[in-house]
Amino acid sequence: MGKYLKKIGTFFTMMLMLTAIWSMTAMAATDTDRNAFYVQVPADWENPCVWAWDSDGNNAFEAWPGEEMEADPENEGWYYIWLPSFANHVIVNANDGSVQTEEQILDSNAAWMTVKAADTVEVTYEKQTTGEAPAYTEKFIVHAKVDESWENPCLWAWSAPDGTNAFEAWPGKAMKAGEDGWYTAKAPIFVNSVIINGNDGSVQTEDISIDPAEIWITVEADGTYDFSYTDPDKAAVADITVHVAAPADWESPCLWAWSAPDGTNAFASWPGEALEEGENGWLQKTVPGWINSVIVNGNDGSVQTTDISVESGKDIWLVVNGPEDYTVSYEEPELAAEETEADTAAEEVTEAETAEDTETVEETKEKSSPAGPIAAAVVVVAAGAGIGIAAKKKKAGK
Amino acid sequence: MRRKGKSRAGALAMAVSLTLGMLTGCGTQPAAEESGEVTITIWHDKEEAVTQVLENALSELEPEAHVVLEKKSDLTEALKMVGNDPKAAPDMYLFAHDKIGVYAEMGILAPITDIIPEEELTAYMDNTIEAATYKGTVYQLPLYYETLLFMYNRLYMSDEEVPATTEELYAYMQENTKGGHYGFVEQHSTPYYAAGWINGFGGYLLNDQGEPGLNRPETEEALTYHKKFADLMPGETEYATVNTLFKEGMAHATIAGPWLIPTVRESGMDVGIAPMPVIDETGTPISPYMGVQGIQVLKNAAEKKPEAVEKVLRALMSDEIGTQLAKASGCAPARESCYEQESVTGDEVVMAMKETAGNAVPMPNLPEMDVMWTVTGTLLTDVNMSGKDVAESADRAQAEALQLIENMK
Repeated sequence: MGKYLKKIGTFFTMMLMLTAIWSMTAMAATDTDRNAFYVQVPADWENPCVWAWDSDGNNAFEAWPGEEMEADPENEGWYYIWLPSFANHVIVNANDGSVQTEEQILDSNAAWMTVKAADTVEVTYEKQTTGEAPAYTEKFIVHAKVDESWENPCLWAWSAPDGTNAFEAWPGKAMKAGEDGWYTAKAPIFVNSVIINGNDGSVQTEDISIDPAEIWITVEADGTYDFSYTDPDKAAVADITVHVAAPADWESPCLWAWSAPDGTNAFASWPGEALEEGENGWLQKTVPGWINSVIVNGNDGSVQTTDISVESGKDIWLVVNGPEDYTVSYEEPELAAEETEADTAAEEVTEAETAEDTETVEETKEKSSPAGPIAAAVVVVAAGAGIGIAAKKKKAGK
Repeated sequence: MRRKGKSRAGALAMAVSLTLGMLTGCGTQPAAEESGEVTITIWHDKEEAVTQVLENALSELEPEAHVVLEKKSDLTEALKMVGNDPKAAPDMYLFAHDKIGVYAEMGILAPITDIIPEEELTAYMDNTIEAATYKGTVYQLPLYYETLLFMYNRLYMSDEEVPATTEELYAYMQENTKGGHYGFVEQHSTPYYAAGWINGFGGYLLNDQGEPGLNRPETEEALTYHKKFADLMPGETEYATVNTLFKEGMAHATIAGPWLIPTVRESGMDVGIAPMPVIDETGTPISPYMGVQGIQVLKNAAEKKPEAVEKVLRALMSDEIGTQLAKASGCAPARESCYEQESVTGDEVVMAMKETAGNAVPMPNLPEMDVMWTVTGTLLTDVNMSGKDVAESADRAQAEALQLIENMK
């Protein structure tokens, strides 16, 4: 019986993992045609990244600020990145996304861009560098959560048994700290072994044999570790349902949802996925429970709400009256039910009915107005810095 | 869920049968005797790539024979309902061989050898004719066959790491099943998939006498041995889960049908195909079932439209049909001579099926097999997922199978 329960547990774990996989965007296809895109940036722009998409809103990367560029060792001052050829809308940013260019629409992303300042950019399609860009190598993300005593964690990676190293010298690639407590770095897919180290390499894990796939490694102070190929923070959250009451003149309303600040999108491309008919007059969509931000849009994405922060892991009832006018609730609002009843009653009103009857219906509808007070708890979280970033991305990426 | 694998294979078989049927006849249509044109209707459930090849070939029979390929999603049940009704039944159907026994017992099938001399069938691989034979009579003209394949993701498993034996596979699974990734996954509690292990031990679900073998020592030994592999796989392994795990890069290797290969290739995976691992305990490779897709002729059509039926069958006997099907849809041709063509020998998937077919066991085509899928599925669930005693579970399943078979009589 215990075995059976264990199997059941495994099954549900699997389902969660699969759900996470199915929910995550996978926009950077492995067999995509790519072009080398070169950029020069001001001296105070550190760790430049590129956020790129096409005119249909297909993003090249999963999350803002996009993919970090690499310095071309043969062309000092130039950074390069291999972009999917479809992604001809680009924003170059740096310093963890705190500085960025305007959106640049390129004829081709086989281009050389010189960023003199955030608002001063020159683009040319004539080769500005010598030699060829280093060959494209697919990479995967290594996430590590280390003990507080481990400062400046780094990733060391290699291919066993031949011993080909991914990085030039120990302690390897510095991992970037995220707001979610995880450090991240990328490694080429030819590696199958990693070490997480800290304090300039003075503390480290033992050799960790891994698959070249996105991985989350948790490291204790003594160097012991555990790892998972699914985000432990997200895998534990079940799907949620977002219920929406949208303005009547928003045709074919869609839901766009993501996780801030890491920017992992629930759907592959803007405007997201169509809301479906639910119960009690609500539109609804099931999304991964790890999302914490949504936008409702309509008319093919031409009208939309601002970024709306929501609590992760909870079903949501969202009444939208306009782009800036909305209410969020985590229990089905009583008024929404009344509105439905009123709508139903209104449908039942016939031309033969008296004006008094009609007035009663109108009165009921007014009480049910989404703009009116909602008895249920309403939580509207003010947009933070992360949302600001997401908004930039969304508006650029649409 | 356990039936999904079987259903998938069955569906494929059904589709093949339907396509073949389409190629060979249009039985439900009245013969246009006045103009000399005869319509032959063939039911099938095949994909367009297959039917297109057949339609092109059979169109050359015009105007003497007009062949209509009619796709039927419920082909097997429809045949049970109308197989004896000349006005509603097709002239032929294209489907897997495993339903031959059911329809032969219904008396609706014509022996192929009534139309094509037996000596002409020697051009076919022996095990395809074996599959097409029920109680000593050949009821199907084989077109192509399919087997499960051992496939692996080269991102994780190098060609040098491909396990040659099941113990090597087990060691690989132990080393690489961690963090939510699996060294190997399969539909371990689906009879169609588990049959490969049982056959490899010399056991069987149903023998050629229609007798279940669920509690035979060889079958129990296979179940016991297979359990340790199942313990290193997800608890639930229905079709979609296993295929998704492999396709999404969460499993290094799998045993699956050839129909999975186009999907994983589209996803960008560098997929390798390898021979089935040899079971260390027996020295025999994992020996999956083989499904043979072919044309069955309904008795009424054979009697009323013998010339048109023969023309259709002969058109489908050409090597060109086999090679074109291999090219169009990765079908492994049933005719031996097709394997002399470079276009066939150069197809990795087709040749892998050819190699696997050397040890594959034709799916039983006896009517009794109908009850075995469910009973065996329950047995596998009891052993692999509920951890029940193998011998007790096998005895219980055997008794149930015998009772259900008795009820059929």
